[in-house]
Amino acid sequence: MSTTEMDPVFTTALRDVLLATVKVAPRVRRRWRWRMGTGMLVGLTLAGGGVALASGVFSPPGAPVDSPLGNLITATRTGTATIDIGIPPTTATDLSLSLTCLTVGSFEFPNGSSMSCDAADLSHSIPIDRQASEVVPLTVGVDTVTIRTSANATWMLQVTYVNQVTTAWGVNANGETYGVTNQNGTPDLVAVVFNHGNTHGYVKESDLNCAAGGGVASPAEALAWDKVRQNRNISIPVFQSDGVTIIGAFVLGDATGSDAQTVPLSSLSLGC
Amino acid sequence: MRSIEDEATAWVAVLGNDGDAFVAVFDQHRDRVYRHALRLTTNVHDAEDVTAGAFLELWRRRKSVRVVDDSVLPWLLVTTTNLSRNLTRGLRRYRVLIAALPRAEVAKSAEDVALGRIEDLRTAERVRSAMSGLSSSDAALITLIMFEHFSPAQAAIALGISNGAARTRLHRARNRMTEALASLEDGDSAHTTKEPIR
Repeated sequence: MSTTEMDPVFTTALRDVLLATVKVAPRVRRRWRWRMGTGMLVGLTLAGGGVALASGVFSPPGAPVDSPLGNLITATRTGTATIDIGIPPTTATDLSLSLTCLTVGSFEFPNGSSMSCDAADLSHSIPIDRQASEVVPLTVGVDTVTIRTSANATWMLQVTYVNQVTTAWGVNANGETYGVTNQNGTPDLVAVVFNHGNTHGYVKESDLNCAAGGGVASPAEALAWDKVRQNRNISIPVFQSDGVTIIGAFVLGDATGSDAQTVPLSSLSLGC
Repeated sequence: MRSIEDEATAWVAVLGNDGDAFVAVFDQHRDRVYRHALRLTTNVHDAEDVTAGAFLELWRRRKSVRVVDDSVLPWLLVTTTNLSRNLTRGLRRYRVLIAALPRAEVAKSAEDVALGRIEDLRTAERVRSAMSGLSSSDAALITLIMFEHFSPAQAAIALGISNGAARTRLHRARNRMTEALASLEDGDSAHTTKEPIR
């Protein structure tokens, strides 16, 4: 073994762990809309970052409220490109970005969040299925937006300056916070919509973290977790904001084959 | 090992949770990260732990990693430097995970391997001692520019400081590093210098 090369046994094990780590990460092809099974997280995702909420639909506590300022700028480009967005209004705090993929590819916003579009995404007749929205803080002196993409990926960006104010989380009778993840962290009860977007409620952050692989702490657990998740979705209970009344189930996973199963988190021994 | 022709594209894929792309980034940079960790730690086990920690941190903090000239290597090297400076604290998050990784049965310590290269070992020890006396930001600058031969402009991007600030701090860090090395050199001389032959 050379002193300038890592122990090959260690290297192989580490590579397996890194691969398993990526695999157990929430499959967030669209981070701002963490669609798992029939539900989706509302507002900011587990991984942080800004999200544009559909106004007037469901605005849970802790959600940022964005007030658009100035004109909407629209641009269509292929590949990595920079868009000039002009000087920000004095009250602007953030940029609201909405990106639509027009071809297959990967697309990255200035804050590092990203989306990917495959042929199935492009076949959707409703444009919103191919859209991603982000709200990113302004950087002083920067009046451009750069979208990085995979080779030859075509996209359309709509961007406008906004003034953003973050509302406070709610607190239920048991002292649990509820709402959406924001710059202050993640509340005890995280807002979700499910039942094809028709119902909203809250899932326990601890359940969400566990079902998303947050309890994995060793290579063996990582590999076991990967096995558990193969072709299987995991459901967790959805509560009212009281954290007690169950109103449905939130499904995490993207198993869709004929032999795909959906099992409750409580039936699995995940150690978290 | 899968080589990366376009690391920027691979990194975009990593951000889309592409495990193969992340492993490709690991294979691309692991040797250089490991060699840098060896430079700053006292044995190969610690260097392996730091290397593992650097790549696990790369994944955990992937959304905020500074990409310099389409590469995450500068970020990895700075993180390696920071982890090496405080192994216990830096790797606490991954302690269980790293401890579970198997290793070859006979893993020689850096000292064992270097027995025939005492001078190399002394040099490494001097570098470690000198680096430990620098601030984190100065150590990061020294890592990128003096050891890994990135330009001051690239180091500035990696560290999120202006080009001018990088050059100013580099001048200061170089002086401190030189002083520290000279001081260690003097210490060695006190033990090894013989009286001149008259």
